[in-house]
Amino acid sequence: MGQVPDTREQITAAGYACIARFGPTRTSVEDVAQAAGVSRATMYRYFPGGRSELIDAVVTWEYRRFFLALYEALRGAETLEEVMERGLMVAHRAIEDHEVLQMILTTEPEILEPAFSAEGQPTRELVAEFLAPYLERHALRPGIEVAAAADFLARMLLSYMGAPGRWDLDDPVQVAQLVEVELLSGIVPAPSGGR
Amino acid sequence: MGSAVRSSTNVVPLRSEQDSDVTKRVAIVDGALSCIAAKGLRATTVDDVARASGMSRATLYRTIPGGRDAIIQATVETEVARFFSSLAVAMGAASTLEAALVAGITTSASWISDSAALSTLLEIEPWVVMRHISFGQMDRALALAADFTGPFFGRWLEPEQAARAADWAVRIVTSYLANPSDTIDLTDGAQVRSLVRQFVLPGVQALQESKGS
Repeated sequence: MGQVPDTREQITAAGYACIARFGPTRTSVEDVAQAAGVSRATMYRYFPGGRSELIDAVVTWEYRRFFLALYEALRGAETLEEVMERGLMVAHRAIEDHEVLQMILTTEPEILEPAFSAEGQPTRELVAEFLAPYLERHALRPGIEVAAAADFLARMLLSYMGAPGRWDLDDPVQVAQLVEVELLSGIVPAPSGGR
Repeated sequence: MGSAVRSSTNVVPLRSEQDSDVTKRVAIVDGALSCIAAKGLRATTVDDVARASGMSRATLYRTIPGGRDAIIQATVETEVARFFSSLAVAMGAASTLEAALVAGITTSASWISDSAALSTLLEIEPWVVMRHISFGQMDRALALAADFTGPFFGRWLEPEQAARAADWAVRIVTSYLANPSDTIDLTDGAQVRSLVRQFVLPGVQALQESKGS
């Protein structure tokens, strides 16, 4: 039994490597079995749904790695401003530099569908849950509810990190302005004199 | 096509509809929309569209040359134009920045939820829609929307801030489209007003002040 997750993980990692090398369209179950060093039979034991189940598993696996890396990068951030600014910059850079993601976006973006939720919980909720304690510790403008503010901020962070629009998210000055002026003006009281 | 013969019709068009390519084009687009609403984009064929729009394949190809892709393209363009004209009516009637933001968001959300074709796509082929509002593609959608709605916000804001306000409104609409909320209904004016008042307007105004000074 102890072997079960290992083999599954090994196949999933091999699946990721194949997709990175050949692209999702040209990755076959045989390629992945070979790369993982398992037989086709073993492959189907772990992924009875075949190719599509395997691709879903790879996307979910990489999605989890992405967020684990993001959480790691945010460790030590103390304030709401800091966590939002660092989160936006790190996530945006990671998305832009993610060659496999960028390739999939131009070829088969539909395979990313399982990545928009983890075990059925939408990414937005995960981000909102992450932000809530920072909001709780922060002074808030009258009438602001933590849950509603966290939901709104999570939506906006997800939107900006994937598509920065008019903002340069590599520039800390612009990111601070986006977070502190545009996104937080309605939520936290005005700071008493610059940053 | 028995239904085409309606002897009781007492409204006679001034000009025979057969003469107008524009009318035919609209009929094709509406036919395509009804097909997409019924079974999605992938399953919709040129024959389906011809049947739904009540014309022959030959007429269809003559009116919109280029086959299936061209028909889909014409359908998308027409729907985008219809969407922006309904947005213009609603936003043009707004008398404050807050009202313009609320009108922009609620009109977009209502238009989206009233579209039978979009509802079907979101249900059975979500990526047909989602790919345009995800990652880098979203930047194009933002630019298009900002170009169109920027001038409406420009009545109260500097051009740069107007574009940012437009950009923000688009992000709100697309976020709730991709990720519907149990608590907020963007077609509800009162709910959107409180969202805008609480979260959006203070940021738009603060940004304008910080840039202005």
